[in-house]
Amino acid sequence: MAKAKGYSDPKMEEKLRDRYYYRTDSNPEFSKRIRDISQTVSHMCYQCGTCTGSCPSAPRSSYRIRLFMRRNVMGLEDEALTDPDLWLCTTCYSCTDRCPRDIAPTDVIMAMRNLAAERDIIPVNFLKTVQAIYTTGHGVPNNDVNRAARQRLGLEREPPTVHKYKQYLPGIQKILDHYGLKARADKIVAEAEKHA
Amino acid sequence: MREYAFFLGCIAPNRYPGCESAAIRTSRKLGIELLPLEGASCCPAPGAFGSIDLKIWYAMAARNLVLAEKMKKDIALLCNGCYKSIWDVNHKLKHNDELRDGVNEVLKEIDMEFKGTIDVWHLIELYYDPKIVGVDKVRDSVVHPLTRTRIGVHYGCHLVKPKKEHHFGDSENPMWIEELVGALGAEPIQYRKKMQCCGAGGGVRGYDIAHSLDITNEKMINLHEAKADAVTEVCPFCQLQFDRGQIEIKEKFGKYWGLPVLHYSELLGLAQGMSPAELGLDLHAVDCTPFLKKIL
Repeated sequence: MAKAKGYSDPKMEEKLRDRYYYRTDSNPEFSKRIRDISQTVSHMCYQCGTCTGSCPSAPRSSYRIRLFMRRNVMGLEDEALTDPDLWLCTTCYSCTDRCPRDIAPTDVIMAMRNLAAERDIIPVNFLKTVQAIYTTGHGVPNNDVNRAARQRLGLEREPPTVHKYKQYLPGIQKILDHYGLKARADKIVAEAEKHA
Repeated sequence: MREYAFFLGCIAPNRYPGCESAAIRTSRKLGIELLPLEGASCCPAPGAFGSIDLKIWYAMAARNLVLAEKMKKDIALLCNGCYKSIWDVNHKLKHNDELRDGVNEVLKEIDMEFKGTIDVWHLIELYYDPKIVGVDKVRDSVVHPLTRTRIGVHYGCHLVKPKKEHHFGDSENPMWIEELVGALGAEPIQYRKKMQCCGAGGGVRGYDIAHSLDITNEKMINLHEAKADAVTEVCPFCQLQFDRGQIEIKEKFGKYWGLPVLHYSELLGLAQGMSPAELGLDLHAVDCTPFLKKIL
């Protein structure tokens, strides 16, 4: 085969013979999975930066939604999923409403978080919500101060949710157990507390 | 009387019970009867659950929807977070057969099936809709107008955004909740970055509290600049972030804003003649007295 440029370094030759320049840590499957989970045309991003400009988290952190959109197009899976900034999106959907390409960057972030969770990368506070829902049915459960306040307001001490009708709790636990989420949450939280 | 299954969520009944009793009593005066949705759980929290696995989020929200389907009633709720979970999942499952079949396979284990027979509404849109209640009827229910008060409206994110999926139109500068605040006799004010997030969503409040409070602090600066007497919202989670968040801002950043935070149901309760004690306003972390002094 004819030399592309005539470099003496064979590695450089190899790179230039390729029509595209690939980073070795790029995984095209990653972009496809993001598109499937997020149900948005995430590969259409042309990096205008309207998303970062609209983001309430951007001015006060190193979180840049545009960078995550680029990582998606480039298939930079490890870089995206292990970045702690991934969890600074408040899911306010401002970027989604302003995106000129009609992409939903918020849903791309949610998809990335789902994939990070597959690797057991989940912040502990998310999992504590899971544990609370498993034991009580509520992410923010009732307490004694609130029970007294409810009574004073003429409400029942327990709201007419699964708090009062406890027979519904096993159904909730069955759904979470179907996905094995409680067991995973317990394991990851215990591990994190060991290191804390 | 129109009857709805009242989906409570977590923070209203378990942290701000005044919102719950205010919503039930004020809605009754507007021709809406809110019936208890027995056995409902957390919606579940869209930030926490959706981030871990969207499939589990769909299944858990679908269980709540099935409870209302069995009552043959539409759901009414008072929280934007719940709206995101319950409305979005109802909409997605109704229009995506593959998704619905997957969810129903899980629900079969607890003898439930999602059929897609009901709709989901936020109370605030029922109040605004002239076919259900309408601004005029809200105005007619007022016995104690909140005159001489300047109120900033915080729409929250998950009600109006994303606009192409939801049905509230403009999400850059909507004005319809201002109309409802004006109907109570108060003056709705405009302030910078009205549509900015409260800072709590997406699990950020638990993940990085200082970051989340910094977003809240910016809202407080902008509301203060516009000389607001109070801020109103339609989401107990935003309320928690603004109300308890002001105490946390004082501890972390050393600045105390002291801006009363009231859910629209609580404002409506005051305007319909309910007393602050009946509304449980003493349960708020930020003292509401300066605001109450202006209207009582």
